[in-house]
Amino acid sequence: MMKKELKIKSNKTNQQKQKRTNPLANVFDDFIDFCQSKSLFMLHYCTGCGAIELPPAMTSRFDMERLGIQPMVTPRQADILLVTGYVSVKTLKRVILTYEQMQAPKYVIGICSCTVNGGMYWQSYATAKKLNEYMPVDVYIAGCMPRPEAVLEGLNRLKNNIKNDRKEQKGSAWKDYYKNYDYYLGNQQNLFGKEWQTPVDVIAEAKLYGLEGEGTYGENTKKLKMVQHPLLPQEMKL
Amino acid sequence: MSLESLNEILNKINTIKITHKHKRRIRVDVKADSLTTLLELIKGQASFLHLSAITCVDWIEDNQFELVYHVWSYEENCLISAHTRIDRDDAKFVTVYDLYKPADFFERDIYEMYGVFFIGSPRMEKFILTEWFGMPPMRKDFDSEAYVQETFNWTEYNPDWLQELSDQGGGIAIKPEDIRLSGTLHNKATHREREKAKKEHVVGKGWKS
Repeated sequence: MMKKELKIKSNKTNQQKQKRTNPLANVFDDFIDFCQSKSLFMLHYCTGCGAIELPPAMTSRFDMERLGIQPMVTPRQADILLVTGYVSVKTLKRVILTYEQMQAPKYVIGICSCTVNGGMYWQSYATAKKLNEYMPVDVYIAGCMPRPEAVLEGLNRLKNNIKNDRKEQKGSAWKDYYKNYDYYLGNQQNLFGKEWQTPVDVIAEAKLYGLEGEGTYGENTKKLKMVQHPLLPQEMKL
Repeated sequence: MSLESLNEILNKINTIKITHKHKRRIRVDVKADSLTTLLELIKGQASFLHLSAITCVDWIEDNQFELVYHVWSYEENCLISAHTRIDRDDAKFVTVYDLYKPADFFERDIYEMYGVFFIGSPRMEKFILTEWFGMPPMRKDFDSEAYVQETFNWTEYNPDWLQELSDQGGGIAIKPEDIRLSGTLHNKATHREREKAKKEHVVGKGWKS
């Protein structure tokens, strides 16, 4: 019973969003987006050499804090996931686990050429090439490595995307992960094997956010159901 | 210990070939069956207590793997590199774990990267490449580029501003698309030929140890 009621409620709220007629409501939405773009917490996952450009960007030389962006220690409280540098297949697993732990709305920035195309590791068997095959990426900052000015430029662009999200629909790449989960999961399974499974139930989250689409389900999510086993707490042993 | 007495110890093995590269650096070539005897000798009688590394070289033309054991003595300040060769098709060798404990990691690494099985080594399992299911990637017959072509996609990026720049005579001299495949820059292979070459590559998938 509870579940059914919840479903009806969420449907109602979706309809309400579409049928808003109060002119002040739009103003309020813009205000929310404005506030959101002014307060971002960043989790920098320093996979490669691009991380060396972050200390000057964060500290007093270029000072990221004047843009309202601060480093954050846990993925659960972070808004931005900054992937700096090449992502090896082994690291990619951890990046995906980190990304799925973050709470929506969440944004991904890929720094350096390696996240675009593998960069100088294009011929390496151990490096994943395109980051946006495995998770939706908002902004790429190309360069080997990009200067702190370029990093700040990319962050500014992300801020503008978030601010103008309702007009241009650019700052909501994270919704794509729920809408096209089957595509992303398929690419992940190609690398990690068919038994790949994360602790986060993405499909349930998609239902919660009301972001289910045709791409959420597919052949790859069927495989997921085959191998999925309930996650139990680990035994404590001394 | 003088150099002569060290030579005396080394010469106890019949098939040995000693090369003095430097007074602190000795290269030793032995047959595979007498390598453990040599290590035991220099550890027990000549204070070579530290196994720095085990290296593997793939000599695909000779159909052989070369194993190099680097052993260091803190008393002599001298490094002995013991070279030995084993058959490539039947890549097995005996472990030296009972002599040198760090050999565990080196042997695991070589097993993963070259597929040389060390008999008696305590943990012959995956070490670093836990997400890898293909053939050992450091072997010379593994074509990394062909594997990448088959597994991953390439991002095309041709923005307008770059086109404008190159129209004015600037831009990038060598496009990344042209040097993506090794040798294409010099051969100037056309796209069709590249596609053909892609199909003909044999990637070592489904390799079994």
